[in-house]
Amino acid sequence: MSDHTAPDNSVDPKLLEILVCPVSRGPLRYDRNAAELISDKAKLAYPIRDGMPIMLEAEARRLDD
Amino acid sequence: MTNTDTQKASFGFQDVPAGEKAGMVRAVFDSVADNYDVMNDAMSAGIHRVWKSVLLDRLNPQPGQRLIDVAGGTGDIAIGFLKRAAARPLRGRAEASAVVCDINHAMMKAGKSRDDAKPFASVLTRTCGDAQNLPFPDCSFDVYTIGFGIRNVTDMDAALKEAWRVLKPGGRFTCLEFSRPITEGFSQVYDAYSFNVIPWLGEMIAKDRDSYQYLVESIRRFPPQGAFKMRIEDAGFSRVSYENLSGGIAALHTGWKTGV
Repeated sequence: MSDHTAPDNSVDPKLLEILVCPVSRGPLRYDRNAAELISDKAKLAYPIRDGMPIMLEAEARRLDD
Repeated sequence: MTNTDTQKASFGFQDVPAGEKAGMVRAVFDSVADNYDVMNDAMSAGIHRVWKSVLLDRLNPQPGQRLIDVAGGTGDIAIGFLKRAAARPLRGRAEASAVVCDINHAMMKAGKSRDDAKPFASVLTRTCGDAQNLPFPDCSFDVYTIGFGIRNVTDMDAALKEAWRVLKPGGRFTCLEFSRPITEGFSQVYDAYSFNVIPWLGEMIAKDRDSYQYLVESIRRFPPQGAFKMRIEDAGFSRVSYENLSGGIAALHTGWKTGV
């Protein structure tokens, strides 16, 4: 879309509209800079690789501090 | 969670701790991703294309439908679905759309560079996800497909329940999977071929005999047509039926989510 952002890590907005956290089934926040989808309810951050969200608990970063 | 270490799951002919199966299957598909389409053609003499085409015939894709193609890999079924839907008049309906959802990132990445996916860039999306815990709300899709994927899932019954959950009421479940040859004579020929020729093809084409040995063994561990039909019914689907393809080498199971 926009030619200056890395095309590799931008997620299709239509996909973002429908995705939920696979653990909590709660909503997700898109952190564009970190290239992560954040589930506040499950305290997990799902990575995005090659524009594809990796919606696997085992691959997610834990947010509990 | 407490049972993960003691429960067993099949991995080819071995039994492995249930918690390890997903990682082992991912390793197989990471290993075969780049050669997967070529290998499928070589192993089945191109027949997997005919089977997928039969699946699409039965689905009769329409504009406006939203598909989830689980274990969709490089996107054969999703792209075929979108092609067929696009060939039909819109009549005020939106374009059909499809999500490929696969546990393996490498397979989907390989699919992104397919030329035949390009016309559908605006309606085809891809996400990594586990068939047992799909990252979608209830009642999201009109059609669920899983082609040569369900036997690789650790807990098949959990995956079937997830399929039911994400389908809209009136939505359709379709599963294409290797099955059991329906005559004894044919079964013997097929056994000889699959245990001798396929691992050898894997070695020749993909330099990976072990992964293809796993594929052959996992096919034998999968329940036969009638038993699998009952598992689909147990997950809540109605009017479940199956159709044998190529004498039962593969079977196409289908069911409906009704009565919600």
